[in-house]
Amino acid sequence: MYRAKKYRSIMNRSLQNVLAYRTSYIITFLSNFVNLAAIYFLWQGIYHGREELGGYSWDQMKTYLLVTFLANSVLSWYSETSISGKILDGSVSVDLLKPIDFQKARLAETLGSSLLEGTMGLILIGLFTLFVSGIPLPSSPMIYLLFAISLLAAMLVKFGVVYLAALLCFWSTGSMGIVWTRIAVTNLLSGALVPLAFFPGWLERLAWFLPFQSIVHTPTMIFLEQASMPEMLGLLGVQCFWGAVLWLAGKAMWSWAVRQVTIHGG
Amino acid sequence: MSLSRILYLYRRMYVQQLKAILEYNKDFYILLASAALTQVLGFVFLWVIYDRIPDINGWQFWEVAFMYAMIFLTEGICSLFFEGTWRMGRLVNQGELDRYLLRPAPMILQILCSGIGINGIGNLVIGGLIVWQSLLHADIHWSIAKVGILCLLLVTAVIIRVSINLAGNSAAFWIRNAGNAFPLMVHSLADLAKYPITLFNQGIRIFISTVLPYAFISFYPATYLFGKAGWSGWWMLAPVAAAASAAGAYGIFRYGLSKYESTGN
Repeated sequence: MYRAKKYRSIMNRSLQNVLAYRTSYIITFLSNFVNLAAIYFLWQGIYHGREELGGYSWDQMKTYLLVTFLANSVLSWYSETSISGKILDGSVSVDLLKPIDFQKARLAETLGSSLLEGTMGLILIGLFTLFVSGIPLPSSPMIYLLFAISLLAAMLVKFGVVYLAALLCFWSTGSMGIVWTRIAVTNLLSGALVPLAFFPGWLERLAWFLPFQSIVHTPTMIFLEQASMPEMLGLLGVQCFWGAVLWLAGKAMWSWAVRQVTIHGG
Repeated sequence: MSLSRILYLYRRMYVQQLKAILEYNKDFYILLASAALTQVLGFVFLWVIYDRIPDINGWQFWEVAFMYAMIFLTEGICSLFFEGTWRMGRLVNQGELDRYLLRPAPMILQILCSGIGINGIGNLVIGGLIVWQSLLHADIHWSIAKVGILCLLLVTAVIIRVSINLAGNSAAFWIRNAGNAFPLMVHSLADLAKYPITLFNQGIRIFISTVLPYAFISFYPATYLFGKAGWSGWWMLAPVAAAASAAGAYGIFRYGLSKYESTGN
């Protein structure tokens, strides 16, 4: 159908843009890999002399770290700053003239760049597993299927959060503060830094109530088979719910935000 | 050029940048809050972990909190007073360096003053608070000499931080595309020094003690303050690391400047 075609071309353009700036991409990924190594060594030190912590064995924690890395690989800094950049430098006004839904176009854009980001993430994880032993893998193909679906849903939820944060730039003239805040909040409450099970009770319950846990914690629970089949399907449902809610919130905020456009003399 | 002249020029350029920033006061508060929030959440991370274990490799909670906060404290000082290095990518990419080259003022001074990172205030406040609390909670026997050495270590830490930022961003002279991520990677390696370097293997330890001496910002000062056996005396190398970092960074910068070609517009 013709309607989907224009969004697919946006996705392609985004992918090509990533390839054009591959040096920066590779460096960014090396940077992420360094962080993964640092966190890995930290947890290794924490687990030294201990069999289990917060319900996780060392082997499970290693898997947790790798899945977290993969979930964080997609929708990177590049995607986030390119959305807010459009709003800040005024090129959003050009988009307003096009017969294209801004939100869908941004999603297509991030999907394009995420293809490479996800692939790079998988490659690095593959390299990492060559040096690290004792990483348990699920035996059932069903788990991998659910995990893949969960990752896609996680991307949708993360896009929703990123998009809402980016729209805040309609009310400010800088994006760094907003990006940092979003990253900090998302990292903590999604379980990217430490499993939610480690949290004190009140903080864990708060995290479960918010959408962020759908980004990292849910995919890891599925991959580590820490939930029964009905529970997994329930978690997927929650992810889809948050994806839909955040999408609608983004739509509503956009229609409100466009009235806040401030044009700087250019 | 005399030192007083340099300080005078620095103050004048700094005030001008400050005026520009305060024009957009909403951003001022957002950046302030976001920097503080980022650091507090990192602190929560440590708190959550230590809630379940007594130590990591023999390091107690407040000792690691000190190292963690030192990275942010020095980052805050760098952002607030020497943020300009992060503007280098754009200056080179868009040829604006030409304007600086024409002025009768030291190039390095103009670069360092070309921006103010207001987020530095947030980092400074929270980082300083955590460092202070760490020192209070630790069993430290204070003396005038110890306070003096602590101040010295703080100064060397800031010098090392600014130097590494300058060296990393000087990559703009060679990697010319916009959005160059190399300096960000160099900068993010500081994450390795938020925790005891005893967690890492020998190669990594050597790397962040020599090539990018982040360990002298957090780990070695901690070994001195908390009296860690087996590490006594290492902190004395901090001034050496600071001097070497400054010289190396300046050398890279000057070399890059000699390679600078303006954009054709």
